[in-house]
Order: sequence, then structure tokens, then C-alpha cells
Amino acid sequence: MHAAVLEMIYNQRNEIKENWSEKMTLVRNDVFKEKVPKTLFQDTNEEFAALIFNSFDAELEDGRAFLRSFAEKLIRMGWPLSYFTKGMQTFRRVVLESISSGSEIPSKKMYETFYEIEEWVDEMVNQLVDEYSGSWETTLHQQRLALKELSAPLIPVFDNISVMPLIGTIDTERAKLIMENLLDGIIEHRSQVVLIDITGVPVVDTMVAHHIIQASEAVRLVGAECILVGIRPEIAQTIVNLGIDLGKFPTKSSLRKGIETGMELTKRQIINV
Amino acid sequence: MRIPILKLQQYLLISVQVDLDDQTALQFQEDLLNKIHQEGSAGVVIDLTSVEMIDSFIAKVLGDVVEMSNLMGARVVMTGIQPAVAITLIDMGIILDDVPTALDLEQGLEKLQQELEE
Amino acid sequence: MSVQSSVEVHTEWGIVSARQAGRNLAKEIGFGSVDQARVTTAISELARNIYLYAEKGEIIIETIEQYHSSGAKKGIKITAKDRGPGIKNIREVMEDGFTTSGGLGAGLPGVKRLMDDFDIDSVVGEGTVITAVKWLR
Repeated sequence: MHAAVLEMIYNQRNEIKENWSEKMTLVRNDVFKEKVPKTLFQDTNEEFAALIFNSFDAELEDGRAFLRSFAEKLIRMGWPLSYFTKGMQTFRRVVLESISSGSEIPSKKMYETFYEIEEWVDEMVNQLVDEYSGSWETTLHQQRLALKELSAPLIPVFDNISVMPLIGTIDTERAKLIMENLLDGIIEHRSQVVLIDITGVPVVDTMVAHHIIQASEAVRLVGAECILVGIRPEIAQTIVNLGIDLGKFPTKSSLRKGIETGMELTKRQIINV
Repeated sequence: MRIPILKLQQYLLISVQVDLDDQTALQFQEDLLNKIHQEGSAGVVIDLTSVEMIDSFIAKVLGDVVEMSNLMGARVVMTGIQPAVAITLIDMGIILDDVPTALDLEQGLEKLQQELEE
Repeated sequence: MSVQSSVEVHTEWGIVSARQAGRNLAKEIGFGSVDQARVTTAISELARNIYLYAEKGEIIIETIEQYHSSGAKKGIKITAKDRGPGIKNIREVMEDGFTTSGGLGAGLPGVKRLMDDFDIDSVVGEGTVITAVKWLR
């Protein structure tokens, strides 16, 4: 950055910082839905300010490392990205205000100065956004893995009858995994009847229904039978409204009724003794 | 290569032990129909436990075998279709919905017996 | 380095050796049993098409790698090449149930669904090149 600008910022650093801190209290109400403890907010602002001033004279690499550790801290605390972006915007405004009010910069250099400050702010923001999105992608990836592991076990309940409870949203990738689990489980437990329980599936759209139909067709090919259970009223409504044909395999409203049907199919019944 | 067809009482049992190539599949179709004719069999179990791949051609041949055997008065049950094979067939949109299935040879025979009693 | 094998298809046995080569490679680079079956079946369909419509051609099976921001991924690429009559109407052959051979009409659209990437390049009178890729999950 231009030496004159740096000098100006440096000379007025206390004033700028004070101005900035004051304006940041407005940002606090804006950015945070819940109350953030005052001291924590002030401490973080201190650190933020130190980071900003440090970035003027630190080596490029050091500045980056400093910014990264600050980003990590914000992510860990769960603070929104807008705290940082608004903080930087506020800082820019404060600096520009003090430049325009002071007379140290010749007016013809004004545009150039503005441009430089703009560029410097953008650079900081970009870097932090990168950090944030990188961490967000990692989290997303980990959650995907976690969801995969959560993916539907096949539970044998009686001889030749198993239940697969489905929980959560079903996307194409998960549907493939569920199908493999289901078929491998059928072979392993020698299940003749499988009850697929969709009580825990929040939405059944055409895609989900398609996956369920495909799974039941595959189940039939390996030599077992599928009964769909746990159809809630709203699910029944969407299925019919969307014109999805589930007519090919039996459906039952509850797991209990499904098990009774499964018993019938395998020529058994539950009796009171 | 020819696939052996075993006779057990009124049934025919076939255990396919290799991945079918086109010629073997067609030969099998012919052999089976002849055997049904010769023995007057009431039911057939085709066990596919050892088959690792069924493509659209083989699926067509197998589906045809079932239909042809039915015409000749023999019920056919296919058993032991592997999960990977089932998923591949479904992926390709081949559902073989006219073909009765069972988990293994034993359950296949049971299924035949039930169907013939009805 | 990519592992590559090429199988000539001009008899029915070519179909069998092509799919065996495919299964071996799929197993080697770590595909699960379902994806092995998908790759093998796709090769079988492509090889049969060559045999039925072009009489002869070749199937090339190779491993490929692609680099991403999130790391590298491995896959298996099948190329089916022939100098046969070519495909007049590609949209038509990609329709489910369309068949000129009396089969199930699941061939090419089936291959597309079995694999992750799929591409046809065909010139009438000159031949057809079909490539299909399955990525390791």
C-alpha cells in the first residue's frame, strides 16, 4: 500500500480503532441472533483490530497464517462469516472517512488511495471466505460419511422375516447403499420377507418412490418379498397426488400389520397361549 | 459347453456354474425344452448362485425359457440371483417380472410345490 | 501409469474374454462386487453390439485418474471401437425398448445407466466409438 496512506493510518491508529470499535457494536446487533457476551465480543474485536493493523507491516506469509488462525477461531466459535465481512467493511468506512476529513492526502491522489484500500479489504475478505468455505466443505464431507454409516441396517425379527427401518432423507447415493445393504442382508439372514419401514422418511417424492420401487424389484429378483410399512397419512397423500404407482407390492400402515402379513406369507401366525 | 440338467421326481434341477456366454445360453434353452418334453416335468428350478453377470441378452434368453416352459406346462422358479446381479439388472431396467424367484434351491423347490398344489 | 488391455471382438468368445478382462481390472483397482458386475455387464453389452452389428471391432479397457481440488479419483474406462455401419439415429438407439436384434432393447441405454460417464461418436458408413467410465466411489 502507498506509504503515505500507511503512515496516515499508522498515525491515526488509536482514533481509527476507537471509531471502529464503536461502530462494531452496531454490527453485533446486526449479525448475531443470540446475545454474545460483551467481554467476549470486545476481546474478539481487539484481536480483529490487531490482525488488521498487523497485516500492514507483517510479512505476507505471516499475515496469512495470522488470518487463518483467526478464521479457525471464528469457525470454532460458530461466528458467522458476516461478522468478519461487516467488520472489514466498517473498517474501510472508518479509514476512508478519516482520509477524507484529514488533509494529508492530496485530493488528486484520493482515487488511487481509495482503490488501494478497496483492494486490500477485498484481499482480506477473499482469503477468509476461502478459509470458511474450505472448512464448510470438510464438514459437509464428514457429515456425508456419517450419514453413509448411519445407512439402514437389516434387522432379522423372526425366521425369514427382516425389517429395514429407513431414517432421514434418501438421495441417489444413499439409495444405492441401502439397496446393497438390503440385498446382502437378505442373503445373509435368508429372509423371505423384508419389511421396509419408511416411518422415519420425512418426504416421499417421485425420486424416493422410484428408489423404493427399484429396491423392491431387486429384492424380488434375489428371491424375497418386500412389504412397505409405516406409510403416514401425508405420505399416502403425496404418493397418490404425484401419481406414483406402488400397486406392485403390498403396503401396510404399520410395522405390526406388516409383520402379520409377513407371517401369513411364510405360512405362520401369532397366537395367544 | 453344456449345462447339466438333473431330474428329481417330477422336477428338473439346473445349477448354472459358469457365467453364461450366448451359445451356451441358447444351447441350454434348447436342451431344457427337450428335457421337459421328454420327461413331462411339472416344474423346473434354475439356480443362478454362481452366476456373476447377466446382461440383457442372457436375461432375454432366461425370460424366454420361463415363458416357453410355461407354454409346455412346466413352472419355472429362478433361485440364487446374486445381489450384484439383481442390482445390475434393475439398473438396466430389466425387471423380469414374470419370472418367479426364490432365495435358494431349497426354497425354490418349496415354492414349486406350493404353486403346483394350488 | 494406466493399465490397459485390448480385446479383439469378432467371435462370441471375444465377448467372453472382454468381460473377463474387465472384471479382473475392476477387481484389481478395488471396485465392490456390485460395481464389478456393472462394469462387466456394460462390457458385455458393448462387445455384443460390436459382434452383432459391426462383425468385428475391439474393446479397450483401461484405468484412468482424474484430479480434483478434493483429491484424485480412479476409474475404469471402456472404449468400444468398430468400423461397422455406424448408428443412423443415436437418439433412437438410446431409447429404452428400441431393438433391431430382437433383444430386450436395454443395451445402450442400459450401459449408460450402469456407468457414470457415457459418450457415443458414430459416423454412418465409417464406424462407431463408444466410451464409458465408471468411477471408484
